[in-house]
Amino acid sequence: MNDLGGNFNQRAGTPGALLWPAGICAGLHASGCREVVYVPDNPLSHILRALERDYPDVRSTMATREEEALGIAAGLYLGGSRPALLMQSSGLGNALNALGSLLLCYQIPALFIISMRGDPGEWNAAQVPMGRAVVPVLDAFGVQHLTIDRPEAAEEMVRAAAALAFGTRNPAACLLPRRLTVPGGQA
Amino acid sequence: MKRIDAIRCISKLLTDEPVVVSLGHPAYDLYAAGDRPLNFYTWGSMGLTTSIALGLALACPDRRIVALDGDGSLLMNLGSLATIGAGAPPNLLIVVLDNGVHGTTGGQHTATAGKADLEGVARAVGIAQARTVRDEAALEAVLRESRGSAGPWMVVAKVRESSPAAKPPLDCVFIKHRFMAALCNL
Repeated sequence: MNDLGGNFNQRAGTPGALLWPAGICAGLHASGCREVVYVPDNPLSHILRALERDYPDVRSTMATREEEALGIAAGLYLGGSRPALLMQSSGLGNALNALGSLLLCYQIPALFIISMRGDPGEWNAAQVPMGRAVVPVLDAFGVQHLTIDRPEAAEEMVRAAAALAFGTRNPAACLLPRRLTVPGGQA
Repeated sequence: MKRIDAIRCISKLLTDEPVVVSLGHPAYDLYAAGDRPLNFYTWGSMGLTTSIALGLALACPDRRIVALDGDGSLLMNLGSLATIGAGAPPNLLIVVLDNGVHGTTGGQHTATAGKADLEGVARAVGIAQARTVRDEAALEAVLRESRGSAGPWMVVAKVRESSPAAKPPLDCVFIKHRFMAALCNL
């Protein structure tokens, strides 16, 4: 059934460690991100665990709401850090005015890692409208985004998005589709 | 005390602290009381003043960071206090200018005009250094006390609405560049 995808998605020599979260963490670290602000979801928990295990110099701060996370990230950048923001697609909807009136208006960069719901593989109708709106909304705000569709491309794509964000002082986003985070579909 | 008097009192006591100030009347009054590069004036993102200050406090552990928030703004993002209570940044001081109204938008009453008690909220989420003050002498005393004692601190300054006399620079990128240069992060 899903043997090929499952094996493909494993990091060699580390039983139980997934390839795509390891690639995202490596990309964040190589890009100088030492601060992660997040509101969790299930796929993101793999990234958070990998950060805690492999990158003890990265600090993770949990916010109560994604809009709050953007505020914290803005302060981190003003203070000299390169913040990454981890949230679910639903949470982007909670953060839109802060994206416009704080990050974009003041040219404050942050690297968004957005775990997608509502895309192919989804089972929960409540996730679909916001999930479908993510790309049009990012485009409407002029936030460049790329979709990490293969585990082995994760590190390179995160590094590319981070270079764009922190080099040009604008937010940029990496989207994690469900076919990456939940191969075979469930949960 | 009027809000402008509270802000003048705070401004007078500032040395090298970065200040993040809430949009609207608090920002206008801080500008009128004394513009400085280390003032970060927000023009939008209502509710995020204290969160921006938290990010600064995390990034700059050797500096004391001041948030000048409003009751209406902070009520939009009460969760930020729970985050601060949990993380307990010792170098963060939140001053809430609590006039019980949305002063910038026509004076609609906020919940603090009724039963809501922001000092009580702060204590309930683990911000033990929380005080409410009602005049300038008490405000000055607690600000001096907060200097010598680890935070996070929250001071609720009960104020009356007053008419702002000036507006800070409108160019957000200028505000950011000036602020970051003063912090030596540019």
